[in-house]
Amino acid sequence: MDEILKKRRTLQETMNFMAALSAGIEPILGRGANSMTMSAGRNLGRKFSAGAKPTQDLMEAIDEVRNILVANNCLWGFEPFKPQQQNDFITSTPEGDQQLLLVFRDCMIRQALLRFGHLQQGSLCNMMYGFFAGALESIMGRKTTLEIKHAGENSCLKLLTVKK
Amino acid sequence: MLEMTIHENSCRGCQLCLDVCPTDCFVFDEQTQKARVAVVENCIACLSCAYICPSMAIRHKDYHQVKNFYRNIEFSSRMEKFL
Ligand code: SF4
Ligand code: SF4
Repeated sequence: MDEILKKRRTLQETMNFMAALSAGIEPILGRGANSMTMSAGRNLGRKFSAGAKPTQDLMEAIDEVRNILVANNCLWGFEPFKPQQQNDFITSTPEGDQQLLLVFRDCMIRQALLRFGHLQQGSLCNMMYGFFAGALESIMGRKTTLEIKHAGENSCLKLLTVKK
Repeated sequence: MLEMTIHENSCRGCQLCLDVCPTDCFVFDEQTQKARVAVVENCIACLSCAYICPSMAIRHKDYHQVKNFYRNIEFSSRMEKFL
């Protein structure tokens, strides 16, 4: 029990440090902070998905990203979301890009930010965008963006766009 | 299945819940001048409406409540390799 409590404290301190670091670099680097975390996330996404099964099916690719996260002990629970007025999970833009809404529930970034009073939707959240971009680039071979539509206290809504 | 209610007597009709909801779960009832749940199926349980409501009139039931990660033993053990 002592060991677990010690690990938890270390983990809490690590995330606290990361959140503080990201909050600290934002005023200095401005938009540059987002590029840095995006790039770090993309490298991680590429690295983690190096051996992933390639597919052109977006739903399959999303499952693959989930498997990668679980295999690497990352707690980022997400699920596809379909508003009642929409027929399918995946929609297409007039330009031919595919779009999918994702709801993120357990997220260690949000929990660290809220615990220590930092704002959401900052550079640390942008790391997740990078992660998806990197992972889907490897799995589908296509460019991807992950836009935060809503950052809530208990879950977040994001829009995944996979370019044609 | 998630349930959501608005305590009718508490609602002051400020419409903040309509503004904050990302999935348009609420409508404003012009007759009663109060908010009403319209599409509970669209609720993603972000709880932003419950936090923003000045009357604390909105209640959710049966949803996944996110815990602070360091309070979750299973998660703490999964994070071991990063420490
Ligand atoms: S935020 Fe609360 S008080 Fe305001 S309209 Fe919605 S339920 Fe009513
Ligand atoms: S919890 Fe979020 S999604 Fe659900 S009704 Fe409230 S604001 Fe909308």
